Amino acid sequence: MRRRLTYLTLLAVAFFSVFPLYYSVVVASRHNSALAEVPPPLLPGGNFFANVARVFDTVPFAMALLNSFLVAGSIAVAVMFFSTLAGFAFAKLSFRGKNILLLVTVATMMVPAQLGIIPLYMLMVKIEWTGSMYALVVPALVNAFGVFFMTQYLSRALPTELLEAGRVDGATTWRLFWHVVLPTARPAAAVLGMLTFMSAWNDYFWPLVVLTPENPTVQVALSTLASGYVNDYVLGLSGTAVGTLPLILVFIVLGKQIIGGIMQGAVKG
Amino acid sequence: MATPYSQARRFGRLAVPVLTASALALALAACGGEAPSATTAGKPAEKVTLSIALFGDFGFKPLYEEYKKTHPNVEIVERVTQFNDHHNNLVKRLATNAGAADVEAVEVGYISSFTAQADKFHDLKQYGLDKRQSDYLDWKWQQGLSKDGSKLLGLGTDVGGLAMCYRKDLFEKAGLPTDREKVAELWPTWEQYIETGKKFASGVKDAKFVDSPGEIFRAIVNQAPVGLYDAQDQIVVATNPEVKKAWDLSNQLTQNDLTAKLAAFSPPWNTGFAKGSFATIICPAWMTGYIQEQAKDATGKWDIAKVPGGSGNSGGSHLMLPKQGKHPKEAAELIDFLTSKDNQARVFKEEGTFPSIPALYDDPSIQSFTKPFFGDAPIGKIYSDAARNLKPQHLGPKEGDVRIAIGDGLGRVEQGKQTPDEAWAQVVADVQKIK
Amino acid sequence: MATLQATARRGHRRLVRHTLDLKLSPYAYIAPFFLLFCAFGVFPLIFTAWVSLHEWTLTSDVHTFVGADNFTTLLGDGYFWNATFNTFSIGIISTVPQLVLAIWLAHLLNRPLRAQTFFRITLLVPNVTSVVAVVVIFSQLFGRDYGLINWMLSWFGIDGVAWAEGTATSHVAISAMIMWRWTGYNALIFLAAMQAVPKELYEAATLDGASNLTQLRKITIPMIRPTIVFVVTVSTIGAMQILAEPLLFGAGSGAGGITSGGPDHQFQTLALYVYDLGFNKFDFGYASAASWVMFLFVVLAAGVNYLLTRRMGGAFK
Repeated sequence: MRRRLTYLTLLAVAFFSVFPLYYSVVVASRHNSALAEVPPPLLPGGNFFANVARVFDTVPFAMALLNSFLVAGSIAVAVMFFSTLAGFAFAKLSFRGKNILLLVTVATMMVPAQLGIIPLYMLMVKIEWTGSMYALVVPALVNAFGVFFMTQYLSRALPTELLEAGRVDGATTWRLFWHVVLPTARPAAAVLGMLTFMSAWNDYFWPLVVLTPENPTVQVALSTLASGYVNDYVLGLSGTAVGTLPLILVFIVLGKQIIGGIMQGAVKG
Repeated sequence: MATPYSQARRFGRLAVPVLTASALALALAACGGEAPSATTAGKPAEKVTLSIALFGDFGFKPLYEEYKKTHPNVEIVERVTQFNDHHNNLVKRLATNAGAADVEAVEVGYISSFTAQADKFHDLKQYGLDKRQSDYLDWKWQQGLSKDGSKLLGLGTDVGGLAMCYRKDLFEKAGLPTDREKVAELWPTWEQYIETGKKFASGVKDAKFVDSPGEIFRAIVNQAPVGLYDAQDQIVVATNPEVKKAWDLSNQLTQNDLTAKLAAFSPPWNTGFAKGSFATIICPAWMTGYIQEQAKDATGKWDIAKVPGGSGNSGGSHLMLPKQGKHPKEAAELIDFLTSKDNQARVFKEEGTFPSIPALYDDPSIQSFTKPFFGDAPIGKIYSDAARNLKPQHLGPKEGDVRIAIGDGLGRVEQGKQTPDEAWAQVVADVQKIK
Repeated sequence: MATLQATARRGHRRLVRHTLDLKLSPYAYIAPFFLLFCAFGVFPLIFTAWVSLHEWTLTSDVHTFVGADNFTTLLGDGYFWNATFNTFSIGIISTVPQLVLAIWLAHLLNRPLRAQTFFRITLLVPNVTSVVAVVVIFSQLFGRDYGLINWMLSWFGIDGVAWAEGTATSHVAISAMIMWRWTGYNALIFLAAMQAVPKELYEAATLDGASNLTQLRKITIPMIRPTIVFVVTVSTIGAMQILAEPLLFGAGSGAGGITSGGPDHQFQTLALYVYDLGFNKFDFGYASAASWVMFLFVVLAAGVNYLLTRRMGGAFK
């Protein structure tokens, strides 16, 4: 009995988690006039592709998808690499000032990113990167969370004996990094990469500030759609569907691993 | 916690190459992206892409196709952004020297803040466009000039002569006349407009008299000789009795529960058109296009009558040529083309935005133009009369920001958060902060 | 002899190189992180303080030093305090129920269940959805005239709630968006912590006849206290920076200036106010001052919550 109640509750939660997305597809597949119907429509209609075509007519959405893919992809790769590098140093190498530097890294995770956004914008103006994807990629090549995450993982998963054995054989640190650390780090780095990819894909504030609607990421294009001169819910939700569903699909396929990664990061957090 | 690791390991094999590939792709795209424009210069049919930034549907789309017939090498990309965002973006782009479109539309409420930055725009005289002066309404032409009058920075598209649109079916239900002459007789003044509203409300319960007070306020102010700014570009909101009068009248709509509380250009406002949630709406010529677009199923239900309180102008735009653009010659030609007499007439017939070229006002094809959607109302004649009788008003540099501050005040009253006096005090304080 | 010397010299060189490798390479490995981080993380942070002491706008090249003027203006700025109130109000309404719900969900999931993966994935779907998408979707759901939520409320005789108009209702609507997006994520973090709690504790408690709820209160919560402290701190910092929700909610409901958070600034948060000052009015100096005070609030709120949750955990023992 209690068990059944648990299942029912969890099913209800699952329903609430998915319903708003489902409903956005319902609206996106209908005509604007359907919005004013009472009761509201609960099943998809037949206009989805026509509406999506309208999205691509209204904003440069193909370009936005490509931009988002490239930006999020390169940020993810850079974060994986630099975080593994720094994580290795923090986890397994000894050097002067290590503890204080690690502490600084962790502490900066607590500083809200928005605090520095005005000077960062002024910097981008100065080096003429406004409107360019470099403005999104370069400042995001590293982040404190990644370093912390990889430090945590490597200090547990990388056997110190393996490194010592390598040293005895005369391997340099760089060789050790390349042949021992990287292979060990790969699973965690992949999780970090996926998490970074998703958050870069969904990033909104900074792209909104620094990009132009002519050369947008998906989120900037979506907000242009959502606040066009005449707001149009159907158009907005169609864009939402096209911009969200690819990520959701990837997530459903790889969800198990991503969840594992989040939960792992959490234990020590 | 062993399992996630092993799962992650399998997953790692897949994710790393995928992510690396996309990073490589970025590097390639970044290298490839720099190349165009410079290399092919000099050849006769250089491929040119012109961008044009607008804040709504200007009805230009069919014209682009036509322009391409004479300029086969030109590709035109239209970008539409929300009204405030559009003008704010332009400020940002001019200041940072990046991102402006080849052609930028500027609404009349913002025009003088941009003509004040003459060094950021091309002088259209360079491209021979001063030849167009005789085409235009004089005041519209003047608005496009730099402060000292020496440079031509913007060419006008449309003017927003005022009328009042109303729903015949709802008027009938309320026992009001439906004929446009009779309707106009109901409201020679705004006070009588409000009285009509009260009568309407006593007869009809499931629709309101007007969408919201914001655009009504703007119309009333625009009918005055002096509006939000005096001739010296000082904000006179607090001292101009005409502004206070417009404020009081607009709030009377709210206080008599005549508004549907649908802020203009919001999604619920759109739906309101489709559902017939309100019976009247202030109708500068460009508004007719929106009504037609939003109330698709309401053919024949809307009609157009004279506006209360005499003529005035709400809205209208100019097209400007920022210096950042790479193809000023083609862009200037595009501006000339889009604002030509014939094309202004054509855009009016299709979209509703009314020409700023007085010769058209006597043109028989405009004079006799009617639209079935508006019950065959003679909209050509209505808006010609409205535009001819316009007394132009001086608009200041932050007209748009002042309007937002006042609109928020009207909204606070409408939402029952403040009395009109409290809201007014806050408006005056807010407006003082506008620099 | 000569070869021996050569070998020794080579050995010595290798030793030097080895020592250098050991001593210096760690710095080389952390250098990319710290260099980029200083350039794009630390420098802007410090520069914000410098800008806040000036009258500094985007459109003018003259930056006048004005000392603490921006800060004194800020203290007398009604909209700033209004935004502060809204931020805390939305922060509390969104965070408190969210964390309670997340702990309870984690508790439900922390037992042998079929379809664990299915439940976990659905829990995280909202978090994968971008904030823009969430607000666009929820603005429609919270529509006054034709929104799904008002339609359902009408079954109970509640008609036409104007969500965006009221201070309380708009805060609830925005909090709902935040909760929807983050509850599942936090539940998974709690779940991870719960799985590390030794099973014997529960078995003993069951033998003693302790109810499910008692077990949650007396065993689970005290045992996962560090995680709760962590999640509360992170959520607080996140809640203090809410921007996209009020920005896009305002656009969707049709406020005149979409950065004002409604005509009465009823849902303008601190982050949105800073955005309005910085990127709508282009008043960088004043916006920077507001940023710094906002940062102060973040530290304060996070600190207070940190202490509170630690005490709370203690009370259960």
